Amino acid sequence: MDLKTLCELNALGGREEAVRKVVYDICVDKLGKDAVSFDGMGSVIAMRKAKNTSLPRVMFAAHMDEIGLIAVSAGDDGLINFRAAGSVDPRVLLSKRVMVGYGEDAVPGVIGYMPIHLQSSDEYHAAPTIEKLSVDIGAKDKAEAESKAPKGTHITFATKYTEFGDGFVCAKALDDRVGVYNMLRLLDAEYDGELTLAFTSREEVGLRGSKTAGFRVQPDIAIVLEGTTANDLGDTEDRFKVCIPGQGPCVSFMDLSSIADHELFKLVLKAGQAESVPHQIKKYVAGGNDAGAIQRAGAGCKTVVISVPCRNIHSPSSVCSLQDVDNQYHLAQATLKHLMKG
Amino acid sequence: MDILSFLRESTGRFGPVGYEQALAQWLKTQFEPYCDEVYVDAFSNVVAIKKPTRKAAAQKADGATAPPKIMFVAHMDEVALLVTEILKDGSLRVRGMGGVDPKIIPAATVTVHTETGDLFGVIGAKPPHLQAADDQKKSVKWDDLYIDLGMDAEKVKKTVNIGDMVTFHGELIELLNGRAASKTMDDRACIAVMLDAAERLQKIQHTAEVVFLCSTQEEVGGFGAMTGAYSVYPDIGFILDVTFASYPGAKPDSTVPGDAPAPVTGPFIQHKLLQKLKDTAKSNNIKINMELSSRGTGTDTDEVEIARDGVPCVLVGLPLSYMHTTVETVQLDAIKECGRLAAAFAADIEEGWDKDLWI
Repeated sequence: MDLKTLCELNALGGREEAVRKVVYDICVDKLGKDAVSFDGMGSVIAMRKAKNTSLPRVMFAAHMDEIGLIAVSAGDDGLINFRAAGSVDPRVLLSKRVMVGYGEDAVPGVIGYMPIHLQSSDEYHAAPTIEKLSVDIGAKDKAEAESKAPKGTHITFATKYTEFGDGFVCAKALDDRVGVYNMLRLLDAEYDGELTLAFTSREEVGLRGSKTAGFRVQPDIAIVLEGTTANDLGDTEDRFKVCIPGQGPCVSFMDLSSIADHELFKLVLKAGQAESVPHQIKKYVAGGNDAGAIQRAGAGCKTVVISVPCRNIHSPSSVCSLQDVDNQYHLAQATLKHLMKG
Repeated sequence: MDILSFLRESTGRFGPVGYEQALAQWLKTQFEPYCDEVYVDAFSNVVAIKKPTRKAAAQKADGATAPPKIMFVAHMDEVALLVTEILKDGSLRVRGMGGVDPKIIPAATVTVHTETGDLFGVIGAKPPHLQAADDQKKSVKWDDLYIDLGMDAEKVKKTVNIGDMVTFHGELIELLNGRAASKTMDDRACIAVMLDAAERLQKIQHTAEVVFLCSTQEEVGGFGAMTGAYSVYPDIGFILDVTFASYPGAKPDSTVPGDAPAPVTGPFIQHKLLQKLKDTAKSNNIKINMELSSRGTGTDTDEVEIARDGVPCVLVGLPLSYMHTTVETVQLDAIKECGRLAAAFAADIEEGWDKDLWI
């Protein structure tokens, strides 16, 4: 399964069907029907049995959902008002294309803005708020808009996956389809202990599916594969440069949702060095992810996060290095290898 | 002519203000099937001429009397960005060419046009995770914006030059009810109107010589129209440009409904010619919505009407939502109605059309 296909699937928190279907089919194909299940939140849990039960039971987790928007009402002019599903800066929404709804019911739309010519000086200098933005699907009136986009309809970014520059890609939903993509590769990982791949739901709306997946699996070790925020270009002060795309996946000692297990954190770094997999330490404590929920699910477990640095994360046009994506897989595999060594 | 296909292709073509040369050559080929003579002038304006198909009475008696000449004008140039600085990390600082709102830029994708080829770029946006509490209340300024080329800084410095043009991505998508959104509908949609009118005039007899001018450099001040009007020297100017379709929060009297041509009234418009335009609309059952420009129109009209010793002008707006964004939205029916109005008006121009023009 390629990253392009995964990124172009549309799945906001709570409506991960499109990704779930792809992931489920691949897992069943690899491991058989009995090895794959859903938890009560719609996470897909694929478990590979241990050949050696003395090895730690390892769970990888990556979330299937992405950030986007949700329709809330329509105006008499047929424009659709919306709210954010997940953390979205309204300033990245102006002049963008979206898909309203899923599958065959979906209709394309655009988010416009008041022409610069009509803005007063105050309006020109004011940041747009989400309440002032709307999606235009071409509907004639309120009734038509509400028939196409009833309250609660999901709205996703319509960004084409584009590779550019020297090994970079621009796409929506790199956070966290990169993790989903690498977990599908890890179905074939070299590891003799019990290995679970948890494709979680509803991360972007509060780390929900990972809590239940973590509870169901109760692993000894959980390794979260994520996309994380890079902020390295332009006038960014050095201290805010969280990580640098192209310099390898990021290993986090801590973020706003969890503190990594220190021994596990060191083991990942050691594995990366020993296997010559480029990597970097996340320099800034920001963001949060499934590790926070998994770590404290049930009786708790050791966690660490390996993330692909993404520029413009949570925007329609996130950017990452394809080499970093590949090395996220290699660092995960190197970590498993070192866990086998004991 | 398939309007949608023309829009899809033309809006994707490179034509920033001042850099219209290649676009002009392509537009020339679009007018050739409908016109007797088409050329590109020194200012890259496209001039397409359709000779009269009906002889005026005066001409029959006196071959030297020229037929009335009406010139339609729509501009071909587009707003764009320009590289102003290459930063140490290889990202590019930009400024707008024409009236670009920096607020629409974060997370946009663009093409950087370099001497050695086109590069894909992404405009950076600071992630919410790293923002201070009040960051989202701050409006985006040009200095906050940079293009990421996904390339090593040294390579960027060898490839990109200050002054390189940057165009937006924004291919056409169809919305409901015959609406379409794209970049650069301003003003390629009005060039579509001219092509539609030219095609209609194949089937309608007209006494006037009809000239279609695709003008350059409108977005910085109507300079192509200024020089084009000088060389064409028409008797009548009929300018087509996009105008503001309604937008929530905009003053109601600053916009027009999106479904019909919007002729402009105001001091820059020849009022008897406007009355004639209204009459033409009425006799052809074309719905119009009047728009007011209380002083300058901000279109090519302002230059055309003071070309040489003066050219009486009318201006028809094609309503467009979200002007100067990459999702400029038009109604295809409104394009066709503008085309119908333009063709009918040209066909209504007869010898002696200016008899009561000024008194």
